[in-house]
Amino acid sequence: MPLVRRDPPNSPSPRPTIRAGDLHAPEPERRLAAVDALGETPDAAEYLGLALGAEGVPRVREAILAKLVSLADAGAAAALAPHLRSDDAGLRNSCVEALQAMPAAVLPILPALLRDADPDVRLLAAEIARTQASETASALLAAVLETEPHPNVCAAVIEVLAECGTAGAVPALRAARARFADAPFLPGAIDIVLARLETGS
Amino acid sequence: MPEAAEPAALGRVLVVDDASLVRLYYRDILQRAGFVVDEALNGIEALEMLLRNPYDLLIVDVNMPKMDGLSFLAALRGREAPLRAIPALVASTEAGSVDRAAARAAGANFYLVKPLAEDVLIAHVKVLSGRPL
Repeated sequence: MPLVRRDPPNSPSPRPTIRAGDLHAPEPERRLAAVDALGETPDAAEYLGLALGAEGVPRVREAILAKLVSLADAGAAAALAPHLRSDDAGLRNSCVEALQAMPAAVLPILPALLRDADPDVRLLAAEIARTQASETASALLAAVLETEPHPNVCAAVIEVLAECGTAGAVPALRAARARFADAPFLPGAIDIVLARLETGS
Repeated sequence: MPEAAEPAALGRVLVVDDASLVRLYYRDILQRAGFVVDEALNGIEALEMLLRNPYDLLIVDVNMPKMDGLSFLAALRGREAPLRAIPALVASTEAGSVDRAAARAAGANFYLVKPLAEDVLIAHVKVLSGRPL
């Protein structure tokens, strides 16, 4: 009887080992496989966040962002937040959308982002607040409006308040209206939001 | 007897900006100045509108969801004429030299930092669309 060697019945099929280091492999397919394989790895979000900044292939970048959104925890939010400072407008906007998709995870770091030293980060943080519950977003943004010196950050805050502001934001809006009375755009925009909030329309 | 013709508009402008209050602000100013104004919320919408309507000028924000302004401009400049030749004014909150250089590389004809005063907006729209000041 010939000797036939069989694999044990439940042995796993041989698969290449995928390591977190493969997130920086030269081949996009290998990086993509590493993103897929990383879900159960401790500190997965931190690895993904580091890879995100270096990733130039759109489908791999999208896979990284999708994985971070699926994690939707404090680590994922912390991994995305540094990329709000990127020079790449596409990456900045993708991170805003990803952080908007995880409102509970981003909430603990949102006040710090709204007080960031960089006005561009504060502006994007205002946009991220859009997907918080209305009362939460309105309170956070009204607090920003009370002290924010930069007109463009105020413009972003007002744009979000136009959608999800509550009556509690009215005093801050009125104060900002007086503070920026001579600025372009802001007085008219604030008047529109105040009219909406005061008439409930 | 022929109907009285409507006064000719100075030109047709497409505003590409995700901020509703900003779009309203541009629309109000430019309509009073004699321009017809259409609006798109992001680069994807703008590309669709450009296939349907002729425009004399684009006013483009940078930070927008789905397709940001610079990706939109790069895609537009890769199209056939006359689409690729439509002048584009980028109006962004980003004031850094890196942002200006990135906009120029993507195909912007001019770059302005928001917020835009009314007279500044009208002057640049007229210059870029070839209308007398």
